[in-house]
Amino acid sequence: MSDHVDASADLAGASTPAPARPAPLAGPAPRATFDQLAERFEQCLVRVERASRFAKAGVVGPLLEVGHRLLARPGGAGHLYEQIARIEAAGTFTGTDWDHPDTLQPHLASGTLEHGEPALGTLEMLSELRLLAVAQGQLFHLQISAEGAQHFLAQVLAFELDRLFGPATEADRQRGDHGDAVRNVLTFIAEGVGYDHVLDSLIAEIERILAQRPIMVDNVKVMITRVATHVADPEHTTTAPSLGVNRLVSALYGPTAGCREDPGVEVYRQRVAALDESGLWQEAREFALAMHSTGLVSPYHEVFLHHVNGEREDLVGAALGLSRTGTEALSCYGPLVTRLIETAITPDTLQAIYGLALMVERGVLFDPAVAPALWGQIGLQAAPAVEGALQRAGTRQPAHTMLLAGTISVLGQPLGLGQGNNPTCQAARAISMWALAAPDYLLRLITRATRDHDIQMLFEGEPISSAELGAGVATAPVADVDPVSVLLVPHLDRIYAEMGRRCVGREGDPHAWVNREMHGWWVGRETALVVDLASGDLTDVEQFVRRFYALYHPLYNHNRPVVHPQPAGIAVTDSLGRFIGWHAISILRVGVDPTDTMRVYFFNPNNDSGQDWGHGVVVSTEAHGERFGESSLPIGEFASRLYLFHYDSCDVGDMAAVPADEVAAVEALARGSWAEDR
Amino acid sequence: MAAKDPNKGYVALLGWTLNAIDAAEQFDRRYVVVAPEWAREFAEANDIPFLSWDFERLNDRSMEIATTLQEMGVDVAIPLFEETVEWAGAINAVLSGNPRLHGQAVLFRDKALMKRRAQLGGIRVGIFEEAWDRGDVIRFLKRVNQTLLKLDGDPNDPIHLKAFDKAGCLGHRVIRTPDEVDHIPDAEFPMLMESHLDGWEFAVEAWIHNGKVQFLNISEYVTLGYSVFVPASPELEAWRPRVEEEIEKLITTFEIDFGFIHPEYFVTSDGTMYFGEVAFRPPGFKVFELLERVYGFNAYQGLILCFDPHTTEEEVAAFFPKEVVDANGFAGCFGVYPRQRVVSELAMPAETAEHPYFESHELTSPLESKVTKRNAFGTHWGLVYFTGDDPDTMRDLLAHQEDLDFYV
Repeated sequence: MSDHVDASADLAGASTPAPARPAPLAGPAPRATFDQLAERFEQCLVRVERASRFAKAGVVGPLLEVGHRLLARPGGAGHLYEQIARIEAAGTFTGTDWDHPDTLQPHLASGTLEHGEPALGTLEMLSELRLLAVAQGQLFHLQISAEGAQHFLAQVLAFELDRLFGPATEADRQRGDHGDAVRNVLTFIAEGVGYDHVLDSLIAEIERILAQRPIMVDNVKVMITRVATHVADPEHTTTAPSLGVNRLVSALYGPTAGCREDPGVEVYRQRVAALDESGLWQEAREFALAMHSTGLVSPYHEVFLHHVNGEREDLVGAALGLSRTGTEALSCYGPLVTRLIETAITPDTLQAIYGLALMVERGVLFDPAVAPALWGQIGLQAAPAVEGALQRAGTRQPAHTMLLAGTISVLGQPLGLGQGNNPTCQAARAISMWALAAPDYLLRLITRATRDHDIQMLFEGEPISSAELGAGVATAPVADVDPVSVLLVPHLDRIYAEMGRRCVGREGDPHAWVNREMHGWWVGRETALVVDLASGDLTDVEQFVRRFYALYHPLYNHNRPVVHPQPAGIAVTDSLGRFIGWHAISILRVGVDPTDTMRVYFFNPNNDSGQDWGHGVVVSTEAHGERFGESSLPIGEFASRLYLFHYDSCDVGDMAAVPADEVAAVEALARGSWAEDR
Repeated sequence: MAAKDPNKGYVALLGWTLNAIDAAEQFDRRYVVVAPEWAREFAEANDIPFLSWDFERLNDRSMEIATTLQEMGVDVAIPLFEETVEWAGAINAVLSGNPRLHGQAVLFRDKALMKRRAQLGGIRVGIFEEAWDRGDVIRFLKRVNQTLLKLDGDPNDPIHLKAFDKAGCLGHRVIRTPDEVDHIPDAEFPMLMESHLDGWEFAVEAWIHNGKVQFLNISEYVTLGYSVFVPASPELEAWRPRVEEEIEKLITTFEIDFGFIHPEYFVTSDGTMYFGEVAFRPPGFKVFELLERVYGFNAYQGLILCFDPHTTEEEVAAFFPKEVVDANGFAGCFGVYPRQRVVSELAMPAETAEHPYFESHELTSPLESKVTKRNAFGTHWGLVYFTGDDPDTMRDLLAHQEDLDFYV
């Protein structure tokens, strides 16, 4: 008894109850190790095993929670695969749709991975690991055969090609570990099932992307490299590589006789040095052919180009695949091109060889301001902030090298720009527009942003300086874009937002003022808008459609061609015709396609423009008269998704001549999709 | 299902808790779940012994439930929720032929009676009074602060208001000024008013069989209404001898032979222990689940064991581990309240999700974007579970969660 008294007396003096609120944890937050997670998973699994059938749901939650974290770690998918029989037998899937694997749908699986709650996504991933075990004969399941499981998984992989081979998307990043987990599981399954099953759909996918000639082809190269590794592996001989596979792989790893067997660049360097005159010409022609037919540049091409650069202008021209026009430009600006190759083309920037070829071929060097501007950009030192931004974007060369190569690509492939996974379609569209129509202006912006980390524009006579502005539409650094976009988009985005801010309170859509001030003098002074801003309803559709036709359709606009790219606004819809959002594009030209359909050819800053907008409106990127990078739609279908364009009244042709049934058809398409409730 | 001991009778679980039912299913006692009609379909689909009963209504059929259970061979009724405590007392009074059990249950259900009884038993409590209307509250607030020799203009010491018959933090308010009294809805009266005690608050879970404590856990609150962990840190566990003394007093005062109690205490800066309140049912905040994490025994099975008068001393001795020393770490949980007025989605903070102590959460995506203003202590949106080896890390971690947004 006295012990107790003493103890409490001591305690009363020694310890102060109610400990003070601890300071926030300092330093980097600790992170659970793989082994800790594995042990935790084991505890959770035991609890699921022990629970009564009716109580599984309550204890499966923590299992999925920990499982999700494990799957996001390297090796996690393999670790859970080893225990998949136990996970299944424990009753993890009890009472869920996954309890009946025969009823699962690959496309729904894909949707669950993309959009589901993490817990459901984890169930889906565990289910797929289970099906892999079934497919490989390591687990017997009453409800699904090994073949059924194999088939299911192959389809899921085909649906998830982007995840399997692409970089982490913005959506992935927003979902934290989820993207990592899905990618790990898919990769693990693909290795288990075999890439054979996904090759066909994969190749079609790559061909479709390359047909648009994007500047950024890193993902495509990764995909082709994986395919190449796969088909070269003697263990995978179940299917002979198709023609498509061979063409893509050889364009990257063996485009010429001198490097057909992919000998490595060092070996090739020695071989080139020993080539005779006819050998050099043959190599040059084959490089050019492979590059122009795919839009991809082989690492060997870079070796060859440096070998002949400065010595043999004729071979440089041949290796770039120049026509007489391009050769003419090369002969006028030979020293500039030589310097550009010396300073901008490196093993990390070799894709700019394609941009260089197109830039020279385009004749843009004949613009009196372009060549001097490029000379000025060679060796231009980047501000530290710019250097940092490019490093964060993952480049391995100094900023001036990356930016020079990027500039060459943009000037050569104005329609190859993409917004990446950033909400900055306006900025991407603007860069593309200037690369096409005002290259000297674009070069000026690049110089200012590189050297001064600042861009100035005028808005109705008042200067706006990007360096003085806060964030714009994009709150995170732009990702997955070319160096010029990394450089310019943050500035343009902020200026665009500031111009919008200065229009607050004005009646009408701010684009009416912003687009003209932002893009250039050629943007129409007046703005046609089919949506009433106050109510969101459609307004005066007929007038809108007639004006558009009378401005752009050659039959009603006195056959006046589109002179400059014109910014316009599109209501983007999904494949079911449901409204997704407003999007910036530019109208490039209007003309008849090979089947005599009048089409609008336009630039969509989206990375992949081949999109199904629903109700038969499918944006085409090839085979309908498109130039590389162009998207197109029949003019009526295009008009049905258009909600904003600019014009000058003096250019509008004969509005009354536009047939009423054509106008009605456009309105019906709009009202049937994005404007359904408007 | 575990093999059932035919030499033992049935136990009745009052209320629907899947974890408790699962524990009974896996234990050697035969059982029946008494719960509202809405649970029937699930119970029958899963072969759970089930008796439908509406606990909302006390009427002339109330004797029926007791006799029905008695005819089924039930020895004891175990309350799982505050709302079934009085029912269990009434039923057990019939089952065991001891009418005092009902009166005892009423003491647990009425906070004012409970405090009085404790005071009679020589247990130290704060100043308290019943309030029947707002005038009572204002008067009590003034009297308490007058007692503390406060002058006009000095900030008041707060008082605590608690609904008579609500569990845990439900209906618990803290009031400092007469203005705040106006915000109390009529429906919350009558209630209990208590003076504020500055100190370290903690809870105890005690399993009692034959009038003796068989297992005593101290749950350390990091912040009342937010977070708790078990076993308590060594600093708090140092108070265990004093806590045991206080629990013995409670057992004697409330005449508890069998069952389980969940009292709350304050330790003030001068080392005095004050009794807060006591419940005769499993605690909220999933302390039972936390105990299973660290000790491995199923706390619900412990409940069945202790309530059942036919349980032998040997069974009890074999069932419970040794407090503190047998724990393989610390388990805690944090109750999440949205910090922003408008939320659109659940966003687990990365530092929480990645922490080695983090186990799992039971948060769901918000159904409504507007967050209801918390006027009383309110109900959290879900718990986040942690386990780990170090009590200080656990305490800091749980406290730190209060600074994080789980909903944005």
